[in-house]
Amino acid sequence: MACLHDHSCEDHDCSSDWSLYKHIDVPKVSALNEAVPGSVKSVFKAWEQRLNSSEGFLESNEGDPELIVFIPFTSDVKIKSISVVGGDDGTSPSRMRAFINREGIDFSDAQSMQAIQEWDLAENLQGVLEYQTRYSRFQGVGNLTLHFPDNHGGDTSRIQYIGLKGEATQLKRDVVATIVYELMPNPSDHKAKSETGGGMSHVE
Amino acid sequence: MVLEATMICIDNSEWMRNGDYSPTRFQAQADAVNLICGAKTQSNPENTVGVLTMAGKGVRVLVTPTSDLGKILACMHGLEIGGEMNLAAGIQVAQLALKHRQNKKQQQRIIVFAGGPVKYDKKVLEMIGKKLKKNSVALDVVNFGEEDESKSEKLEALVAAVNNNDSSHIVHVPAGSNALSDVLLSTPIFTGDGEGGSGFAAAAAAAAAGGVSGFDFGVDPNLDPELALALRVSMEEERARQEAAAKKAADDSSKNEKEGESTSQDATMSENVGTSASESENKKDDLMDDENALLQQALAMSMDDPAATVTTRDTDMSEAAADDQDLALALQLSVQEGAKDGSGQADMGKLLADQSFVSSILASLPGVDPNDPSVKDLLASMQNQPEELQLRNLNRRKMRTKHPRRTTNDFILFYSQVTSCGGYI
Repeated sequence: MACLHDHSCEDHDCSSDWSLYKHIDVPKVSALNEAVPGSVKSVFKAWEQRLNSSEGFLESNEGDPELIVFIPFTSDVKIKSISVVGGDDGTSPSRMRAFINREGIDFSDAQSMQAIQEWDLAENLQGVLEYQTRYSRFQGVGNLTLHFPDNHGGDTSRIQYIGLKGEATQLKRDVVATIVYELMPNPSDHKAKSETGGGMSHVE
Repeated sequence: MVLEATMICIDNSEWMRNGDYSPTRFQAQADAVNLICGAKTQSNPENTVGVLTMAGKGVRVLVTPTSDLGKILACMHGLEIGGEMNLAAGIQVAQLALKHRQNKKQQQRIIVFAGGPVKYDKKVLEMIGKKLKKNSVALDVVNFGEEDESKSEKLEALVAAVNNNDSSHIVHVPAGSNALSDVLLSTPIFTGDGEGGSGFAAAAAAAAAGGVSGFDFGVDPNLDPELALALRVSMEEERARQEAAAKKAADDSSKNEKEGESTSQDATMSENVGTSASESENKKDDLMDDENALLQQALAMSMDDPAATVTTRDTDMSEAAADDQDLALALQLSVQEGAKDGSGQADMGKLLADQSFVSSILASLPGVDPNDPSVKDLLASMQNQPEELQLRNLNRRKMRTKHPRRTTNDFILFYSQVTSCGGYI
């Protein structure tokens, strides 16, 4: 496929650069102001699929172009650059603001908080534009929140693809978050040793 | 088992004093709130519920979202009723309280009890709804209390603006004998979005129904099988006896046209009464009387002359018995009981008829002058009554054959009117 980068693609495989999507914890991805709940998950795919919108795309509610996308990772990552493919006809987002390692950001928070970095986006229908990050600030990212406050004049905002370029560090940030505490005792959860045949405990 | 943080907005405005929901709107609302809190905390132990009031001096958060049911129930005590419900502010404060919940993984939900009138515009409410939808907050509205077309319309518009994939609901509860909490049990507010709350809701619904009529006679067959069996057998015997009596009455109607039109009503009436055959006969006889006799009977009862009433009943029943020998057995039972009462009361009647005795009693009463003409008239009328009643009974026999049909509904209506005004028309 045509790769309109300013280098020839035979040297390396473009798609391997954009492989950070493999480290995204896709079930926990969420978005605010999406028209179809759950549609945000279709936005993270391999670079080759970036223009393929058969699985759906992320669209905001009618008359409201704001979107917030929350992206948790399975391990800490370092993000080098971000690529966003929007919809046509003015539905592409025009600005992007990023927050890292903050959970539960909603619209009032996003508008009042200082973003870690902000970009002005151009309409990127072919997915060849990428936006570099201040790499020093994007080390050890456990989760990333992207806020798109505006679009290019359309009634809704549409996003087909979000690509992340960077490195995964194999470190986990929040191990404690994966533990489920028991609030009320549930006997069925605890099989006593006697039920499974018994036996004396012994030390080897 | 969806993990949820809920804020319940209670209406404690002046409109909650009204008693069209039993016992008062406010109490019905409190019961419903308790039920909802229980359901939410049961469906998932990590669910939290908070409560705020919308009226009074202003919107006030009583308890922030917590999973401690005791705390929630305790805060419902000592609430004061007053002021006007501020729907918009209530929802906004609820949204703020949910935003600062401790566990950010919980879904946000607001449940609003809208009893008083809504003073906000539809536009304003729609904007609030859109904002809730944008922040993925679900909203449930319980529309009860004041009935207003614009109120229902506004609330429907609000819920439609918030609704995202059927997560928000609105329930309209009209006033009536059903408790607010019972009506809510069957709505999606309780049953959640399919799973989860449905377990608790089903159990609560069964308990509520069982308390009323789930178990046939209010007795659990598991707890007390012999009692349940005895009750069931006696109920079936009673039903069989009433059906036999109704059938006999139906046979009577073919002979006597006068009784015919009320037998179908009698059959239903007797089933509805359902205690003893003799008493159902009593009612049937009352229905068969014509208007005048009914009126006189009511007058007699209101004048509190027990002997007269017993004699009227006795005469009625003897007439009915004359028609059919099979009824006589049942009637005899009631006559015996009536006679027992009657003998006691007949003595009283004789005493009362004795004017000297009566006047001596009256003289002892403070404020009553036995020489007062109105008192004398009363005594005279009481003496004359027994004779009058005998005359009336004779007349009744004659009038019964002559009088045209009347529908039983008229009788019931008239009889109820007569008794309601104390018998004085």
